[in-house]
Amino acid sequence: MGDKSTPLLAVLQLLRKYNLKGTEDILRKEANLGDVEYENLDLPEVELANILTAHHTESDPYSYEFAYDSLKKFVENSLDVYKYELSTLLYPVFVHMYLILILYDHNEHAIKILEKFGPEQDEYYQDDLKRLCAVKNKDQVKGNELAEIYSSNKFQVQLSRDASTQLKRYLHEQKSSPIIINIIKNHIQIDVCDGPGRSHAQVKSTLGGLLGEASRNENRTKVYYGLLKEPDLQILPAQIEDEEEAEETPDKPKKKKAKKDNIFMKKPKSDPNAPPNDRIPLPDLKENDKVEKGKALREAAKRVQLGPECLPSICFYTLLNSGHTAICADICDDSTLLAVGFNNSTIKVWTLTTVRLRGMKSADKLQDIDREAGDVLVRMMEEKDRETCRTLFGHSGPVYKVSFDPFKTMLLSCSEDSTIRLWSLQCWTCIVVYRGHVWPVWDTRWSPHGHYFASGGHDRIARLWATDHHQPLRIFAGHLSDIDCIQFHPNSNYIATGSSDRTVRLWDCLTGTQVRIMTGHRSTPFTLAFSACGRWLASGGGAGEIQIWDLSSGLPSAAIPPASNSPIHALAFSRDGTILASGSLDSTIKLWDFAIISDENINEENGNAAPTQKEDKFLLRSYATKNSPIKSLHFTRRNLLLAVGSYDGSV
Amino acid sequence: MSDSELGYGSSFTVDSVKVIAESVGIGNLVDDAAKELADDVSYRLKIIVQDAMKFMQHSKRQKLSITDIDHALKVQNIEPQYGFIQPDSLPFRFASGGGRELHFIEEKDIDLSEILSAPPPKIPLDVSLRAHWLSVDGVQPTVPENPPPLSKEAQKLESVDPITKLSKPANKDAAGKPVCGKAARLKASESVHVKQLATHELSVEQQLYYKEITEACVGSDEGRRAEALQSLACDPGLHEMLPRMCTFISEGVKVNVVQNNLALLIYLMRMVKAMLDNQSLYLEKYLHELIPSVSTCIVARQLCMRPEVDNHWALRDFAARLMAQICKTFNTSTNNLQTRVTRLFSKALQCPSQTNNESGPSMVPSMKESEKTPLASLYGAVQGLAELGPEVVKVFILSRVRWLGERVEGALSGIGGADRLAAGNLKHQLLKVLAPVVRAHRQPPDLPDDYKREYGYLGPSLQQMVSKLRSSPTGGNAGGAVAVVTCTPPLLPSPSPAPGPSLAPAPAPAPSPSPASVTIQHTSQAHAKTIESVASRNVVITSSAPQSPAPSTPPPQKFVIVSSQQKNQTQPASSAGHIVMHSSQPTIVRSQNAPVSVVAKPVFARSGSAQQPPPELDDLSHLA
Repeated sequence: MGDKSTPLLAVLQLLRKYNLKGTEDILRKEANLGDVEYENLDLPEVELANILTAHHTESDPYSYEFAYDSLKKFVENSLDVYKYELSTLLYPVFVHMYLILILYDHNEHAIKILEKFGPEQDEYYQDDLKRLCAVKNKDQVKGNELAEIYSSNKFQVQLSRDASTQLKRYLHEQKSSPIIINIIKNHIQIDVCDGPGRSHAQVKSTLGGLLGEASRNENRTKVYYGLLKEPDLQILPAQIEDEEEAEETPDKPKKKKAKKDNIFMKKPKSDPNAPPNDRIPLPDLKENDKVEKGKALREAAKRVQLGPECLPSICFYTLLNSGHTAICADICDDSTLLAVGFNNSTIKVWTLTTVRLRGMKSADKLQDIDREAGDVLVRMMEEKDRETCRTLFGHSGPVYKVSFDPFKTMLLSCSEDSTIRLWSLQCWTCIVVYRGHVWPVWDTRWSPHGHYFASGGHDRIARLWATDHHQPLRIFAGHLSDIDCIQFHPNSNYIATGSSDRTVRLWDCLTGTQVRIMTGHRSTPFTLAFSACGRWLASGGGAGEIQIWDLSSGLPSAAIPPASNSPIHALAFSRDGTILASGSLDSTIKLWDFAIISDENINEENGNAAPTQKEDKFLLRSYATKNSPIKSLHFTRRNLLLAVGSYDGSV
Repeated sequence: MSDSELGYGSSFTVDSVKVIAESVGIGNLVDDAAKELADDVSYRLKIIVQDAMKFMQHSKRQKLSITDIDHALKVQNIEPQYGFIQPDSLPFRFASGGGRELHFIEEKDIDLSEILSAPPPKIPLDVSLRAHWLSVDGVQPTVPENPPPLSKEAQKLESVDPITKLSKPANKDAAGKPVCGKAARLKASESVHVKQLATHELSVEQQLYYKEITEACVGSDEGRRAEALQSLACDPGLHEMLPRMCTFISEGVKVNVVQNNLALLIYLMRMVKAMLDNQSLYLEKYLHELIPSVSTCIVARQLCMRPEVDNHWALRDFAARLMAQICKTFNTSTNNLQTRVTRLFSKALQCPSQTNNESGPSMVPSMKESEKTPLASLYGAVQGLAELGPEVVKVFILSRVRWLGERVEGALSGIGGADRLAAGNLKHQLLKVLAPVVRAHRQPPDLPDDYKREYGYLGPSLQQMVSKLRSSPTGGNAGGAVAVVTCTPPLLPSPSPAPGPSLAPAPAPAPSPSPASVTIQHTSQAHAKTIESVASRNVVITSSAPQSPAPSTPPPQKFVIVSSQQKNQTQPASSAGHIVMHSSQPTIVRSQNAPVSVVAKPVFARSGSAQQPPPELDDLSHLA
């Protein structure tokens, strides 16, 4: 068997690495190795270590089963204080045993061990195991996504100091069978932290990531999760308001003024957690945008305060005759436009008000317009257009996400064809095609302040773009699997990404580094939403669970268990941050009391924060639709909930 | 997790690889090669499917489609598979032979020229947007766009097994119909819950709705009536009002049949039709009120003021169709609905000789009465049976055709315009109903003499019809009722308590349409024993069979079983009782078969005035 030479080659490579020429030559002669093999000597570091350390156990596949059994017994017999922490070791050891057995051609033993111990692994690992068990011989290990992730990364396990001492003692006893020692040494990163062992619930809350938990050190950086001050608006909208007031209610301006001031004063003068306003350069507001902002603030003044006593009304937009063709939907910030991305690479934009979708006039007509006129933006639009729906063509694959910019002049879309397109909502054409992603782009989002946008996709890399650059400004690499969802922080300084490796990460736009890595999701997160205050991040998973993360610590602060197995594809916080709405593929919209969730966490901050898992405590209401899976949720500025779903008649 | 165990290591078998190899022309694949191939192919397929899952998930679907596979292949730099379409289901066929078993998908050859010559397929409808309120201030409105607050399955479950309702915790939120306003505030402050006394308490809006709908349905404005019926037929969330609606209908029929107000009866039947058509309602609980009403409209002796002019035949036809629809929808092995209905009609057709044999001597006095079963009722019974299918016609009408013929003959030759008209109608109807059955039943040589001998008076005409049918090419379908419902001949009285004609509900306490005054059938059962026939023939149908205790399935409190144990019981099996009516005045006790005239109070102010306009023609056009 030619494979016999693999360990020899490994030794040769090791000798060469340490520059032991003489020994190398002798060994080469003795082993009678061909030149070709010798020349091609280039084993990856990890594999090399693998081969060398595991070499002598290679002959005895039976010992693996025994070793795993012994480790399991050790975990079960240890004290409760350490038990749960130590039990997190079982899964990575098990996976690597399987991979090593496959690597050394003991396929039957590998399958045997999988069948024996596989079902007893935690439920959220079962999907991974199913994917892994497709790998049945060592040729398949190379090139298999999951096996490569496991063999080229270390699995993170957090142990308290006492638990790790226990483990060391145990490993010391096991000296005669070094299988587990080797695996732990090579593939598992043990993060020892001081303090008492964690309880079952605590351990469980952060488990579930593809490669175990986040290490504590990674979440040390301070995150400025506060909101930006909005200085320019303190002057500007007031003046607009005055005009309005003069028109609308000339009789009692005083009362209104007082009220309005409250709204503008509401933002704390100096939020200690807010980043400096110029941390990220933000574009200056254009005249038009300012008007838009002013309008937004005025609308916000009429906002309904929501709470368990006062639930929002929901307006549901059903897409008829769309079947499975509609994929994604977005409603613009002032709730006047709805965009839907379709399977057949088109995008449709509907107007939700009586305002028609007007295009721009033709070039020669535009020449006649006085460019200095105040209403030039209105004048340049074609008056004759009466469309209520417009279709945008350009992509060559399913459109996975559409997103309106905050000022309603542009639309972003990303697609299977690995491009991101920027569309103008004035001339209704594609303006820019952003290329950079290699594979399908799953999600793209605007920054809340415009100008920037972020995208992530199958190539596991998130990118930060500015509309005026055709190259990304930042590249965020680190996820181990597809980036399925992405979201901008309300202060535009951070980007959150959720990935198929079941982690949610927070990236700093300024430095391009990862500042938070959050584990605890049991399935792929498909949607992310920041709370209105910027401190909390909610993510909805493929198995229907919702996780709430505290950005200040990077720890999960609440986990809402799934009501059904259908994935959640839409999350939205009400504008006042008291209600979280979730929409799922099982055609229900659920409202959660977010005030309780956040209050509890703030109260618990001093003590030991154990995430709460009581579903009914948070659930306010559940609304079923008629076979219309929810594609998107959006709170209007007055806190009316808009939902979009496509009617699925076939069910 | 058993399915996960299944998941580990499933792969192609060597056999299937060999079969596939054969299908592409490789006959002699060695086992080792097949094994290698099987492993490799399984691995590759799994990887592709795993990738395709991602595309499915991002398309926000829960069903893998062919495009997902294509995209997954594209991601792996493999040429996509062209030319596959995705039908809704893939039926696997099974074939075995020569010791081998095979599952395959049947693919038929497609004739291209056929496709080319066929008209182009319809353009699919364009995507459109529609908005509705899913919730208003936290409460889900019951509009057709929203799912009904109580699904049909839940209503069914509740009617079959009411215990589930008790065992279910009063779930606040999940039902989508939340506690709101005061109740919610009470809940929030953790105060004491007061259990509601009535299970069905209509909100003010619902009461208004009830009032509007009932007024519109029996009012004179045809436009409003159409709207009201449309609402009854489509709106979800009416189930809370059902008891009232059903009582309204049954009371209305009782009164108006006495007053011979054809128009109102038609309107009421249209209400029944609308409710039956409503997809979100489950009516089984209320059949005990609906069936007597509907059957009254089929077989009542007189339904209108001027039988010789008014077209009460259309009402009978319409009601008969309704009855068939009810039977089709609600017949189960426990309630034997169709059997009971069939028996009801067949009794009306019973000819004296038969009744004589079946029942004892006590029958004799009533025999003459039954002989005089009005022709209109006979017509109704024939029509009712005809709607239940050809098998029923064969068993119940054909066997009595001779006697029916005599009645028709007698009436036609007699005097009295109304009777002659009725006899003509009955004859026409009999011929229409019987011809297809006879045609299927008899072999071709149709000799007038044979027919005459076998079918009596109607024989010759029947022969003409049949031979006409045979000669016409589309004759096969002329019968109208083309064998949908078959029924077991209900020769034995069934003892099971179910909503049938032999069952009577507890009477509603007050014949008033006001919703508050109507209670549901859980009230006293004692009153139920009196059943009155309002039409002057006054014969009562009750089940004479001794009532055994109910079989376990249907909840006993739902229906009141009329088990009259009185000695002087009339002989229901023999009496040609054609009308089942329940008096709204239970105090009137039937006296020994003697004619009793029941004066029912007018239910509606409007109907009391008896100034109801005669049914307009367009009413009848609806019925047809």
